[in-house]
Parts: sequence; structure tokens; C-alpha cells
Amino acid sequence: MTALARCLSLATVATLLAGALAAQEAPRLTGPTPFTRETPAPPMQRQLTDDVRRKRNYPDQPPLIPHAIEGYALDLNANKCLSCHARKFTEQSQAPMISVTHYQDRDGNTLGGVSPRRYSCLSCHVPQTGAAPLVPNTFTDMDALVEREPRGR
Amino acid sequence: MRWSSANRGGAEMAAIARAWGWFWSNPWVRTATRPPVTLSLAFLTLGGFLAGVIFWGGFNTALEATNTEKFCTSCHEMQANVFEELKGTIHFSNRSGVRATCPDCHVPHQWTNKIARKMQASKEVWGHIFGSIDTREKFLALRRTLAEHEWARMKANDSLECRNCHSAQSMDLSKQNPRAAAAHERFLFSGEKTCIDCHKGIAHRLPNMQGVPGWQ
Amino acid sequence: MDLSRRSFLKAQAAAAAASVAGVDLPAQAQNLSAGDAIQLKWSKAPCRFCGTGCGVMVGVKDGRVVATHGDMQAEVNRGLNCVKGYFLSKIMYGADRLTTPLMRVRDGRFDKSADLQPVTWDAAFDEMARQWKRVLKDKGPKAVGMFGSGQWTIFEGYAATKLMRAGFRSNNLDPNARHCMASAAVAFIRTFGMDEPMGCYDDFDNADAFVLWGSNMAEMHPILWTRIIDRRLSHAKARIATLSTYEHRTTDLSDDALIFKPGTDLAILNFIANHIIRTGAVNRAFVDAHVNFRMANTDIGYGLRPEHVLEQRASHAAEAAASQPSNFDAYARMVADYTVEKAAALSGVPQERLMALARMYADPGTRVMSLWTMGFNQHVRGVWANHLVYNLHLLTGKISEPGNGPFSLTGQPSACGTAREVGTFAHRLPADMQVNNPEHRHHAEEIWKLPAGLLNGEIGYHAVQQDRMLKDGKLNAYWILCNNNLQTAPNTTQETYPGYRNPANFVVCSDPYPTVTALAADVVLPTAMWVEKEGAYGNAERRTHMWRQLVSAPGQARSDLWQLMEFSKRFTTEEVWPEDVLAANPAYKGKTLFDVLWRNGSVDAFPVSQTAADYDNAESKAFGFYVQKGLFEEYASFGRGHGHDLAPFDRYHEVRGLRWPVVDGKETRWRYREGHDPYVEKGSGWQFYGNGDKRAIVMAAPYEPPAEPPDQDFDLWLVTGRVLEHWHSGSMTMRVPELYRAFTGAVMFMHPDDAQKRGLRRGQEVRIVSRRGEIRSRLETRGRNKMPPGLVFVPFFDASQLINKVTLDATDPISKQTDFKKCAVKVIGVATAQGGPAGNEP
Repeated sequence: MTALARCLSLATVATLLAGALAAQEAPRLTGPTPFTRETPAPPMQRQLTDDVRRKRNYPDQPPLIPHAIEGYALDLNANKCLSCHARKFTEQSQAPMISVTHYQDRDGNTLGGVSPRRYSCLSCHVPQTGAAPLVPNTFTDMDALVEREPRGR
Repeated sequence: MRWSSANRGGAEMAAIARAWGWFWSNPWVRTATRPPVTLSLAFLTLGGFLAGVIFWGGFNTALEATNTEKFCTSCHEMQANVFEELKGTIHFSNRSGVRATCPDCHVPHQWTNKIARKMQASKEVWGHIFGSIDTREKFLALRRTLAEHEWARMKANDSLECRNCHSAQSMDLSKQNPRAAAAHERFLFSGEKTCIDCHKGIAHRLPNMQGVPGWQ
Repeated sequence: MDLSRRSFLKAQAAAAAASVAGVDLPAQAQNLSAGDAIQLKWSKAPCRFCGTGCGVMVGVKDGRVVATHGDMQAEVNRGLNCVKGYFLSKIMYGADRLTTPLMRVRDGRFDKSADLQPVTWDAAFDEMARQWKRVLKDKGPKAVGMFGSGQWTIFEGYAATKLMRAGFRSNNLDPNARHCMASAAVAFIRTFGMDEPMGCYDDFDNADAFVLWGSNMAEMHPILWTRIIDRRLSHAKARIATLSTYEHRTTDLSDDALIFKPGTDLAILNFIANHIIRTGAVNRAFVDAHVNFRMANTDIGYGLRPEHVLEQRASHAAEAAASQPSNFDAYARMVADYTVEKAAALSGVPQERLMALARMYADPGTRVMSLWTMGFNQHVRGVWANHLVYNLHLLTGKISEPGNGPFSLTGQPSACGTAREVGTFAHRLPADMQVNNPEHRHHAEEIWKLPAGLLNGEIGYHAVQQDRMLKDGKLNAYWILCNNNLQTAPNTTQETYPGYRNPANFVVCSDPYPTVTALAADVVLPTAMWVEKEGAYGNAERRTHMWRQLVSAPGQARSDLWQLMEFSKRFTTEEVWPEDVLAANPAYKGKTLFDVLWRNGSVDAFPVSQTAADYDNAESKAFGFYVQKGLFEEYASFGRGHGHDLAPFDRYHEVRGLRWPVVDGKETRWRYREGHDPYVEKGSGWQFYGNGDKRAIVMAAPYEPPAEPPDQDFDLWLVTGRVLEHWHSGSMTMRVPELYRAFTGAVMFMHPDDAQKRGLRRGQEVRIVSRRGEIRSRLETRGRNKMPPGLVFVPFFDASQLINKVTLDATDPISKQTDFKKCAVKVIGVATAQGGPAGNEP
């Protein structure tokens, strides 16, 4: 058996094994079939840390966090998010500044600093793993509904 | 709520008196403080030299014994506060299983610095004996001061203990995420900042950061 | 600016030319759609998820929801939503939406052992009606049942309660809210004679101290949490103390976190009462004028099946709800046992922290708001826990005034509005009335224009009992709507699943998506959701708010309201009502349930022409009258003049909700308080008018241990619950890719020392095993929850990790609400060698 063939057969075994494992997993939306079957738990997904901004589904959507936030302080002593994203730190950090709405109080008055009601960043902004969606979502982007001509020449 | 620490003047006096009594009642101490009456000068010189060697070896062995996580966490204060917090961080568990223990970050490798740090640490022993942080509340009240000591020390030695493992020279920017790579290129390699300037609170929780540069 | 296609093309060409020449052109020449093309139709709606009741603005274009954002005009949230709320736009668009009824069919006939196949609505309803009639004929009303929801609209809950109680004469109607806040609802009625909080969210802006008893608000009520944090950071005196069995995002942002051993909150509460009494902090004037004392029956069991040894052993399992009159001195003697030493020893919380908490309640100058959710309610002594916190507020008179008060948070968007106010519990009628009270039944028969004596006075099966009766073959025709009970009920492998698949039973499930429950049912009905129908919810602060139908449901999906009403057409009164009732009331003969329930002159009182011209209304179109308005006005007549006053229907479509009682057009922010509540007489100060003598009850109850503490074999506590990013069983949020990726699958949170002891590490696959069942999960030693040694947490949103196969079906014996927070498990690594930890360094 040549080295190449050995490699290929190993790869096949690995693929089959992975396939078999995946097949035993229960669907995350509908559960195991039958209900009583015991099923393995898939590995935990890793957070995306590529710093690539994701397009928002609509302008009002809070932007997703394209980096890991593990171990970041968000307590009464310290807010790690603000140490990059607050207006005064953005030049040094080159991070996007938190939106102007975050400088407004409940009544819409603009304040001289970040509004305390916006302190819990993670209520609205969440990091992402690389998991593939469980089912497609047929939500339609408003751009697709607004009549537009193709760009360019 | 703020929990004031209890009045502990009386307890402190009692602890000092106890320690003093124990010291003088020890037979070794009593023998050692009596002058010699029958020994030759040569014996005393040679014996003194040998005793010195034994003492030195013993001293270093003892010193190293204090440079272990087991020793550090034998105190309730370390076990319940900083060590407990370390367990949830990347310096405790991570991809490759290489982990930092207390002395890796808090005790300099170089001898004179190490001794200097150990002399500082005597204050921590004092704190342990007199219970200055023997509750979570007391520890939290002092956390800013304690953290500032470590930040100042690391700032002064250019984050030496970080660099014992994380050599700037050995960093591969292509393996870092773009945000980290850009920050390291701009601030670390230029010498504008040192590790601890940006990486505070990575192994333990932070104190109130009001007024600390770079924080709200 | 109107840009036609032709002028747009011209502009494009000019822009291309200009860019070559390096010339800047005015804005209308750039590549920008404008005018009507980018207009969205914005309408208000409440959020679909938790009990906070945030206002949402919903943007619609071409019949699709394309955007949502927080409603600036909504007083609850003033422009904020949590991450789930911000992604509401996508919850209706999972590609596997159900668009046609499904039934288990073989050879053209229903067969329970066959697979689910698409059928017509008529085929599904015909089979359902056949089964219902068969069961009613063979076994009577006790053998049919319905499991509803605190996520139903008020109209749907009201239609369900009428169909079940008046149509089928069965009280086997219970909502999933039983799992959620039955303990709170029962304790409200036992203490104040009326359900729901006296205060409101305005308390957040006035309190000095917030005490959270078993509530992780930062994740479960994120927008209310922003109001607390706003107050904490803006008001110098404000402090937050959180009591919990583990640390989480809420404790991170609290001034103090008191981590106690499961179940010992009862001891802490009694210690605080003792401290208040011993330090002379009792508000004697208030207590003398407004409070009665009672002593609860003790040793009341754990709501398990009666033959369970714990029930056999309990001396008062059969009289769990009973209590005896008492007085202040007897109460003081009873709590005197709860010294700080005892409370600290039981709970594991250091004495000085317990003292600091007690001082806060005792200090007359500190306005205290107590908040709780599932930590209190999902508790084998949940009713007691609610009582014991009321005791603290009643002893000090810190109640029903701005910033001072106990506040029960609710989990579901209409737990208050639908489950409680409408009365979809097995023992309730609208407006806090009870089915076992003949006067209340008579009143309902009058409003419903039904024959006297028609309604059934026997309390029906509660949620957990329904599962047991299905399994035992005593409940045979069962309809589940707007919930996913096979994923969320306790002890599902032993107690829930067998009932669904019991050959004697016929199980129907209405849902927008193929959930675990739907796939175990015999008929699945596709449901319209959220803004696909006109609706109304009632939130935790008594705020009733409404929304219009903004888009159409896909395919043949129909709202639960349409389903309930349409189904009623298939029954005549002769088929379901007793002969003697019909003989005495011959006018009701020969009519369908549709005729007598909805065509009764009040539900059908408003013509379709009164529906909003610029919004669709599928149900009204189908039935030929303004269904929602008719149902609402008939329902509102139960409460008007009785402390539950609702405004006229149309007003709710104009405003961002109103807090009942709404009297003379004005909402009520603080009930039972003179000057705020129009029902309180002048000069009285406070009147708890739900009770005959207008006094509230201080109920004495001791600490009693949980049902299943860890032991040698099962050595860990299991706590279950939610996470911020997912709603309940995840059937909506797991279909939104961004939310799925934010919390991709369930994990088991554990202390690193517990992991190390078992030779386990972060990310490793583990088996979580109880006496009832087991699942596999992945071990998490970091992240948002920090467990103390001895306790693990597993969320229940992930259908591939059905943690409720492991939980125990113990309930509070009074409220019948399940304790999902306390049972014993062991954790074993899937790949760990037998006989001890492997791969462990010395």
C-alpha cells in the first residue's frame, strides 16, 4: 500500500467516523428520534475573532461583536467594552464608537457622557460562533424589496 | 451597601502579645541567646562557615518552597479570592494546557528582584497574621491598593514576568487576530506601552477602575 | 424626492461620467433609492418574549416585517430592546414554518402509529371532533384537556377558557404559566385577596435598595435591569443586593452577592423578619391598622405522586394550603428561632452580610424594592417564599408607595394578562374568580349568557397532573397550544412522553414550528404568530397593551384564536351539555358551540367595519364580526367596578398600554394606597381591599428542606433555567441565525474544582444523570455563570440536550408549580475511564 493510499484510507475512515458521530447527534430544534434516545453532545463552538464587521439586517439592529469577549470585565468596578468603544478611547483603539443613542437618557436628552442605562453592553450586543444556521431564515433584507437598478457601468 | 471592617485594635494587641510570648518561651531561642563558654576560636570559625553553607542552602530551599502555588494558596486569603478568580481565566486553563502559577507572574526570576519582592511579601504575611484581608469584604476594600502595587511593579520592570513567557520578539503577528496584531505593532513594539498598561485584570477581577488611565 | 426608473438611469449615467471627470454632483445624482421605495410602514407592538412588555416598533414592507426597534414612546423601555427583541424581525421566517395541518395517517385514516402527513384543516378538525366526542361520551368532561400559554393573546386565553369551561364543561385547562409563576399568583391571592403586584416599574426610579431574590435580571429581564443600573449609577444612595445559588451577570453588577445553599432563602427571610422585630423596626401603626397574622400548616410534602414516600411521610400533604389565625406575638416567637447564627449556618452566607441585608430592610429611611422570578417561584416552598418576602414589607410598612414594595417579575409576555387576569388556570375564572365558588360560576354564566348551573365546579388538572393523567390513561383528548411542553415539563421521559404516546390518548399540538412536542403529537396545527394576528398582552406591571395584525401568516397557518373558535362549530349543545340543563333551557337546543359561545350578542356585537381600515384582521374576516373587540369587551365586563377595570377596547390601540385598574380613563400606578388607587377610601392610608377586612396577611412559615438533596450517589445540585439569547425552548430564537450563533448549544456550567475532582475539563463531553434519566452535554467552567462547588447549571433551550429528562416533578404543594431549580444529579465524563479520573496529574 502506498503512502498516498494509506493517507486516503485514513481520511475516509476519519470522514466516516465524523459522519457517524454527526448522525447520532440529535437535531437541535426537534430533539432525538425517538424522544427517549440518548444522544451525544457536539463539541462547543469557538467564538469568531476575525474582527470583520457583519452587515446589519436593518439599520436599527445592534451590531454583533466580531471578537472574543471572554474574561472581559462588565461589573460595577470596570467596563472593558467602554475602554475601547467609548468616544474618548476610539482614536487610540480604532474601535467603532458606540452609537449616539447611547449618550441619551430615557427621555432622549443628550448627556455629557455614556448613559448609565447603556452600561450593560451585552444585553444587546453579542459575540458569534462559526456555527452554521440550523435552518435557513427567509427574512428578506429591505434592500431586496426597495426597487434598485444594478450598480456600475 | 458598604460593610465597615470591625474594630480590631484589641485583637491586634492580643496577637502581638501571643507572638512575643511564644518567641521567648522557645528553648532554641533561649539557648541561642546565651554566650558561649567552652568552645575554641577555630571550632567557632569552621563551624560558623559550615553553618553558613547549611544556612544558605536551607535558605534557598525554603525560599523556593515559598515559590509554589501550593504555598501561596495555603493562605485562606489567596485561596478564596485571587486563586478562585484565576480558575476562570485563560492563565489557568487553555488550549495547550500550559498554565501560569502564582509565582510565574508575581515573583521575579532574577535573584535580587526576587529577594526584594520577598521582603515586600513579608507584609503579606503580616496581613495574614493580623487578618487585614481575612474576609471577602476586607479584601475587596483593599483590592485597588493591592492591585496598584502589582501594576506599579510590573510597569517599573517593563512587565518582566509577562515577558518571561510572552516574548515580544517571538510573537508571530500573522497568528494574532488583526485587532491584537495592530495594537501590538503600534504600542508594544514601539515601546510606547508595556504589557500591563493594556492587559490589566486578565487573571483576577478588577478593582474599581475610576481614574485609572484608559478606563472610564 | 421622487426618482422614477428613467430619471434614476439618467442619474446613474451622469454619475459615471462625473466620476471620470472628477466632478462632485449633488445628492440626487448618487446611487440612492428614495421616495416611496424606501418608505416602511411602522406600527407598535409589544415584544413577543418576556414579561417585561417592552414596546417595539415594527417596520413592514410588501407584507414582510423588515425591521424592528425599541419604541421611544413606550414608557417601559423608552427605545431599548434586548438582543432577542432586536431580532424579532426574524422569528417568523424560519424556513421550516408549518404551513399546513399534519396528522398521523395510514391508508387515508388516522393511525397513531403512522407518520405525520399533510392534511386539510377539515380533515384535521373532523378527526379531532370525532375523538373529542368519543372521549366526552365515554368518560365525560374530566377526560378532555387543554394546555395553554402565558404567551397566548388575551383574546386567545379568553376564547380557550370559554370553550373549555362553558363548551366542554371541563376545567382541565392550565397554562404553561403554571411552571412559571403559579407560586406568585397563589401567594398574591392568599396575602392580598387579589392577584398581581401593587407597584409598577416607576418603583425602579424611586428605590434606594434593590434586593433580588432568585432572579438573574441581567439575562432574563435585561431591559428592566437597565432601569435598575440606571438608578444604581445615577443615584448616590442606590444599592443592589442579589441572592442566588450561584454567581452570574446580575451578581457581577450587584454591590453584594449572597450565594446561599438551595432552599435556604426561607431561613434568611425569617431571620430578616426576626431582626426587624428584635431591633424595634416594626412599623406598629401600619401593622395594627392593615395586617392580620396567620400560621401556615407545615410539613406539607412536595407535590409528587401521592404514593411517593415523601408524600406518605408528610403530615400535611393533604392540607398543604391550610393556615390558622394567629397574632403578632405568636409570629414573633416563631421567627425568634431564626437567629443570624442559624441563618448563616443553614445558608452558608457569612453573618455580617446577612446582617447588612437585614439592616437595609429594617432602616425606615431606605426605600426597598424586592424582586424575584423563578428562584422563588420554581421552589417546593415557592408560595411560602413569596409570603415571607411580603412579611418583610408588611412588618415595615414598606409597600404600595413609590420605591417601596415587593415586585414579582413574570417570565412570559402575558402571564399576567392572559394566564392570570383571564383565568386560564385549572381553578380560575376571569378577574380572580374561582371555579369552585358557586357565586363566581353564576356570575360567569350571566356574563356569558349561558344556562344557570352549566359550569363545572370541580377544579381541573394542573400542568403536572395533566401529564400524570395522560400517562395513567385518564386524560385522553388533549390539545397543546402555544408551548413546547415535552421540552419544558419536568421529568419528561418518565412522566410526559409516555402520556403523549399512550395509545388511549389523542394529542393535538398547535405551533408555528415543528417542535419536540409537535413531533410527538397526533395532529399538528400550523399557527400564526405575533404580528400575524391582532393581539393583546398584559405585562408584569398590570399594563395591558395591544397590537394590530401587520402581516399575514404563511400558507394555511391560522391563529390559535381562529382554531379555537372554528373548532367550536363542530359541536352541538346536545353533544356536549347535560340533558337536564338543556331540558330546563330549551332555547339552547340545536345550536352549535360557536352559536352559544360567540354568537351570543356580546362577542359578535361589533361589525367588521370597526376593524382598522389600514390593517388586516384574518379572524374577523373569517367570522364576520370584530372578534377581538367583542371578546375583549365581554371579558372586561368581569372586572369593571371590581378593581380590575380595563379601558375601552379602542383606547388600547392608541396608547402604549395602560396599567389597570383604569378608572375614569386614568391608570393606577400604586394599588392599595390612598392618593394613587381610586378604590382606597380617603383617610385610610392603605386598604388591601382584595380581602374582606381590607387587611393583608403576614403568614408564618418555617424553613423546610428541598425534596431531593444531593447524597453519595447523586452528589450535585442541578439548577435549570434560561439564557439571555434564547427564549424558553428556543423554537423561535434558535431559528434566528444571529441568536443561535450567540449561544450555540446548551452547556453544563460547573465549578473548576468539581471538574478537576472528576478528572474533567472545559469542553469535555459529560453525562448528567439523575434517578429519572440522563443527557449528554459539554462542560463549561468559565463564562457568564460562576458555580459554587456542588452545584451545576444547565439551560433548557436546546432540544438536543433535553435536561428535563433529568429534572424532578416535585412541585410546591400549594401552587402546584414545579421546582426546576433543585434536584440531585451526578456528572460523569463520557470518555473518562471506569473507576476514577484518568489523565490527571498528581
